[in-house]
Amino acid sequence: MEIQFGLETEYGISRERSEGIDVVAESIALVRSATAPGVRQRWDYRQEDPHQDARGFRVDALRQDTDEANYFAQDASRPLSFSEIKSDLVLRNGARFYNDHAHPEYCTPECSTLREIIEQDAAGDALLVQCAQAVGGKTDNPVLLYKNNTDFLGHSYGCHENYLLPRSLAWSSLADGIQGFLVTRQVFCGAGKYGWEDEDRFVQASFQIAQRSDFFTELQSVDTMQRRPLVNTRDEPHADPAKYRRFHVIIGDANLSPFATYLKMGSTALVLQALVNGAPRERIVRLADPLAALPAISRDLTWKWKLRTAGGRTMSAIDVQRGYLDLVREFAPPVDAEWRRLFNAWATILDDLERDPLSTADRLDWSAKHRLIEEFRANEGIAPDDPWLRSLDLSYHHLDPELGLFYGLKASGAFQQPFPDADLGAAWRAPASTRAALRGGCIEKFGALVESAQWDGVILQDGRRRIEIDLKDVFTRERVEQGLAAIAAALTPADLLSLPFANEL
Amino acid sequence: MPDPIQKPRPVVPAPGPGGGGGDGPKDPQVNKPNTDDLLKRMRKVDPDQAKRYRQRTGQ
Repeated sequence: MEIQFGLETEYGISRERSEGIDVVAESIALVRSATAPGVRQRWDYRQEDPHQDARGFRVDALRQDTDEANYFAQDASRPLSFSEIKSDLVLRNGARFYNDHAHPEYCTPECSTLREIIEQDAAGDALLVQCAQAVGGKTDNPVLLYKNNTDFLGHSYGCHENYLLPRSLAWSSLADGIQGFLVTRQVFCGAGKYGWEDEDRFVQASFQIAQRSDFFTELQSVDTMQRRPLVNTRDEPHADPAKYRRFHVIIGDANLSPFATYLKMGSTALVLQALVNGAPRERIVRLADPLAALPAISRDLTWKWKLRTAGGRTMSAIDVQRGYLDLVREFAPPVDAEWRRLFNAWATILDDLERDPLSTADRLDWSAKHRLIEEFRANEGIAPDDPWLRSLDLSYHHLDPELGLFYGLKASGAFQQPFPDADLGAAWRAPASTRAALRGGCIEKFGALVESAQWDGVILQDGRRRIEIDLKDVFTRERVEQGLAAIAAALTPADLLSLPFANEL
Repeated sequence: MPDPIQKPRPVVPAPGPGGGGGDGPKDPQVNKPNTDDLLKRMRKVDPDQAKRYRQRTGQ
């Protein structure tokens, strides 16, 4: 695989007694409680520009700009600077942890293997649990964190994926080619939800397989908070823009089950690789109405997941996925053991979903949640529209190993693991295969001298000198190893100037 | 990188038609979990917990 990838997860936050709480203050306090090794408040916001559109133009404003301006105005009354409100922490493992308005957000470092992304996602969860205990553990009103995507009142928050692709893949080929895949992959990566929603409102009590599928109203756009698009067009590569694009996927659910994350990230990366390798558009099924199909699939209680193609045929979401599977087999056949295993797990989950959807409860969040809560509902004689079901749903996502229902299921042996659990605790080291290792290495060795950090670079101070480690084009193992060797040998930041991608500013 | 799956497995060729195969992660020992304790935990979940849960819209 050539594609590198990462996850950004916004967590829900509350307190056991939540009357009158300020979620922004809670999120700030939580992020600021982190003691994991890293550098604080040195994120370089000058490098961020979400207004550039991959279709070749720049938008003057995002739909959420007004909301964001209002949030900033509200936050201006707090006795904290912008930097303190954000409280960015860039961690030794190359990850970023900060307050994104009202949600603690953990962004994994760049990964190139499936094991790495599972480890780094688990490291984020562990960090959040530590912070919740630090802030609320000694009070009688504990902090409650939820790895989910909604409050059941139409307020959604994201779990975004990022995939680094070569710029040579034309945007139109990418956007057209991936659409049907993103609409249908929810059959295995949905987290399940006891409720139907619309923007800013609850609609009705009923189960659906995905948390986010109620919140997409555009085919393509650069927005992420309002009128969200199936395909996000943000063109912010955090890399050399002449060579790379970052495909920013905003349609996914936050998964608790590592197996679901494994399938989500792995299958998406394989499909993208097939597109990069030239899979022709005419081989890809086009949906008649993708925006309608998204919630229709999610809310289909028959779990047949039928949809109409642009050509007028009726197909199932499973068949659409199998079309992508065939495309991968032909244009991006996995050659190493990790990716062959993923490919086979993807094929198997589709077979199992078609044969007996609930047989996937040992791998997928939505079916595990449904099986558990329906068993409870039957035992207790709870009506299908009882609000208690939404509380149980929320409890599935509770990020507390002692209380969360996912963790209870996991402890009972209910879940297959893509990798042995014992490997998941040591993720405070950066993935050795990507530039994240250099970001993390600079932080570990020269933490106090880090002036600023970003995905695509680190600036270090050495007396009056300023040394930039430019990571915009550090995507080969050779370059990463070269950088690691230089960091290991360096006594001062200036010693890193021997690297071809280091500059004195 | 060493194979992360602990059990020894035969080497398999690249996926062929049909895609599926026996090379995926292994079933857990307990296929239908014992959820008795978990169902007790669920009884303690406040039925109104979700009603009180309010968040700002995020990304």
